[in-house]
Amino acid sequence: MTTNDTILNVQDLKKWFTLRTGLFSFRREKSYVKAVDGVSFDVPRGGSIAIAGESGCGKTTLARTILRLVEPTSGSVLYNGENIFEMNRLELSDLRLKMQLIFQNPFEVLDPRHTVMDLVGEGLVIHNLHESDEVLHDRVISALEDVRLIPAADFATRYSHELSGGQLQRIAIARSLILKPDLIIADEPVSMLDASIRTEVMNLMTDLQKEKELTYIFITHDLAQARYIGDYLIIMYLGRIAEMGPMEDVIHTPRHPYTKALVSNIPIPDPTVERERIMLEGETPTPVDLPPCCRFKARCQEIGAYCKEEEPQLREVSPDHWVACYCE
Amino acid sequence: MAVLEVKDLATYYYLGGKELKAVDGVTFNIESKRTLGLAGESGCGKTTTAYSIMRILAENGKIARGSIRLGGVELTELSDEEMRQTRWKKASIVFQYAMNAFNPVLRIGRQIVEVIREKDEMSEEEAVLTVSTLFDEVGLKPERQVDYPHEFSGGMLQRAIIAQALACDPQLIIADEPVTALDVIVQNKILDLLRKLQDKYNLAVLFITHDLSVVAENCHDVGIMYAGNLVEVGDATSVFKNSLHPYSNKLIGAFPSVVGPKKRLEFIPGAPPNLMNLPTGCRFHPRCPFAQSICKDVVPEFEEITSGHYAKCHFAGELDLGGEQ
Repeated sequence: MTTNDTILNVQDLKKWFTLRTGLFSFRREKSYVKAVDGVSFDVPRGGSIAIAGESGCGKTTLARTILRLVEPTSGSVLYNGENIFEMNRLELSDLRLKMQLIFQNPFEVLDPRHTVMDLVGEGLVIHNLHESDEVLHDRVISALEDVRLIPAADFATRYSHELSGGQLQRIAIARSLILKPDLIIADEPVSMLDASIRTEVMNLMTDLQKEKELTYIFITHDLAQARYIGDYLIIMYLGRIAEMGPMEDVIHTPRHPYTKALVSNIPIPDPTVERERIMLEGETPTPVDLPPCCRFKARCQEIGAYCKEEEPQLREVSPDHWVACYCE
Repeated sequence: MAVLEVKDLATYYYLGGKELKAVDGVTFNIESKRTLGLAGESGCGKTTTAYSIMRILAENGKIARGSIRLGGVELTELSDEEMRQTRWKKASIVFQYAMNAFNPVLRIGRQIVEVIREKDEMSEEEAVLTVSTLFDEVGLKPERQVDYPHEFSGGMLQRAIIAQALACDPQLIIADEPVTALDVIVQNKILDLLRKLQDKYNLAVLFITHDLSVVAENCHDVGIMYAGNLVEVGDATSVFKNSLHPYSNKLIGAFPSVVGPKKRLEFIPGAPPNLMNLPTGCRFHPRCPFAQSICKDVVPEFEEITSGHYAKCHFAGELDLGGEQ
């Protein structure tokens, strides 16, 4: 169901990594880490989708596969109706202008030997989009102003070591914005930042979304952050979507036992709120050699007869709210 | 009597002849069975406070003034040898990255036995038995003490570290960001465990974290630090609901929540000051929306405003910070 309002359509996307086992491994059957194992969802134009889950649930691999930074095992990703896995290098290079990635750690992303001017303008130079040095300069300045680094001319001459973490992350955002993208995939963009600065960057991101009509895919382990930025929430567990739906719907009435546990465990910054926590047995297993049943079965408290037999598929339980569980 | 009494502690680092005032005037007490959550942003001095108490500062760090009394003993005056005897037996510390706290080439049980035998007169067999009991206590299978660190998951390692911290029966445990690297569900299990052990062994806990949500759910008392100063301390409900210091108020307001209505959060403009080049007067004044001229010139006193609730602000108790009074 790809309509004009869908900017990105992810269809049964899989990314399996082959496990290196040893010298004579060719004799044995190969085993795989099924980091992303059959994920489908649509991203509406102008929407803000948060993908959340614990470490190792495949959220980062999903982002990297969507951008085709790694080749998928199977499945398709349609960007404005075109399958990005069938694109040639030239088409892909054009696509990369439209889909930008923001990483978690701005300290590692930005080359310390370049000035902010070079760092922010780099994308334009690489894609040969700067007609003259003046145009380049003006566009860098306006990108810096967009991310509220004012006076922009002053910031443009600095090096990354002269800036704070929050400012660096804003420069990383400016680097993306200067290419006028449609879609920004942000992988834990504020997790490295301190609380007071984190809010500033999150507010900036929500404001920019409205100003520039951007679409966001926001990847995080923190549901409180996800709720602050996103309007649609996808909960992943071991490479698959456990539940997805409108943000407030999922946060307030989670249907999947995993989501219920996850939401009940998010700490709340208020000592007077008392809640019941749902504790899960054990820790998240690794997605290697998973049995052909519900992958949450081992930790689930609501196991029924079906759960042991077949992997549950996503079903719509209320408008646009999907759950992969038999209990519902 | 309080287990730990820290009074006007100041710890400076010396960098190329210059003084960096990492901790400057920190005063708090912790009683047994109580947890004090020490929170603040990176570089505010919370870890340096912990390291000062344990006296495990880097070589260029010195306790410049103040007193640290643990069970009535003044730690700043102990000799290095006496201090060595105090660590683990009276006070132990749990670090953030459990992965790095264990030696990767030695069995985990072995490493805990080593601590016990170093500190207590105990035979090898007795020590191994003690480790089994400890493992059971923290929810690990005793037979897993022969495993190496890489065979444990993050949560299990954190449990093993807690077992090690308890090994010599201390009065005080300092937990420096003990759960920050863990997923939320595991995080809460570890925190529940810590609370259970605290009640059982009458421990005083100094809990250091940058995450106020975790503090709100797990600590009896809260201390907020900013640029080396302790700006506010009191019981959790008072600090969260009736903050006295504008910084605590703003910091608490910057945390998103999964309950309640979704609202736009506030942030604090600017960044914390450079500790080598501190502003005059109140260290928060350049970022404070309530700053008056006195804030620029005079360093505010750390005063008790309401019973057990202290703040370091000229206008503490007079500002309308939107509390629920």
